[in-house]
Amino acid sequence: MNTPEFQGTHLWDRLCWAKENLEAYQSDYRVVYEDSIDECAKILVPDPNWMAAAMQGGILPPVWVYWELAKDEAKEDFKKHTRGYLLHETAPVDAMTEEEAIEYLIMKDVPQSVWQTWDEGNRPKMVICKKEQLPQTRTWRNAWRISDELAA
Amino acid sequence: MAGKIIADTIETGAGADISTSYVVNGSAKAWANLTGTGTIALNDSLNIGSTTDNGTGRYDFSFTTSFANANYGINYSVKRNSTGSGGVHSEARTLATGNTEIRGFGNGSASNTLNDQELVVIGIDGDLA
Repeated sequence: MNTPEFQGTHLWDRLCWAKENLEAYQSDYRVVYEDSIDECAKILVPDPNWMAAAMQGGILPPVWVYWELAKDEAKEDFKKHTRGYLLHETAPVDAMTEEEAIEYLIMKDVPQSVWQTWDEGNRPKMVICKKEQLPQTRTWRNAWRISDELAA
Repeated sequence: MAGKIIADTIETGAGADISTSYVVNGSAKAWANLTGTGTIALNDSLNIGSTTDNGTGRYDFSFTTSFANANYGINYSVKRNSTGSGGVHSEARTLATGNTEIRGFGNGSASNTLNDQELVVIGIDGDLA
């Protein structure tokens, strides 16, 4: 199915189209990252409907749009977004592979302080792995760390 | 049959007119149904990019279309594990335009203790960016 010409269409309307017309895609990829020495490792799970939209192409805005909105929200006098048009009027990105979609999601939803310096320091702060590589039990969940085995 | 309905108002059977903007603005702009135990997984959703397991009983939802501000309304609830006992409750911990964190408590432990929940459901109403 071809994606309609969506540039200028509200992003939410595009997502509704995707929900109606695309089959959700359950990715097995997970992103494990540590953004604080005081907290356990966090696990990012891609949304199946979002994955379908990313792999279809022509729906999602480029990731830099989210960075611009995040900059606005970080300002002390922020009240509400005034540049939401960036989400809707910027030309959407082309179809991504599953791996490219995960990279996009990392740059959108993982703190920049993590993914920009993930391999600096004594050990990696972030790992992309498969779901089956993660511990299934929640015992000692709050002590989870990125293991040497997973980092390898 | 495909088609489009364009209307500014809708009339009820009793003859009362309501603006279609009530219908549009009253629709949930994001929702999700999440399995919150083991390796968490989104079962279905709208306007969600990803969810993050932030730790025991802590679930972050990121939006694809950001909200205009953080003053949106969230309906949220949790379902305790089938093996759990006692009451459970939940809390919307963080509200930002691009994400929100929901926390689940109880479920066989002290009611004020974070604990994983079998199901986490959210629905969000608000103005989009």
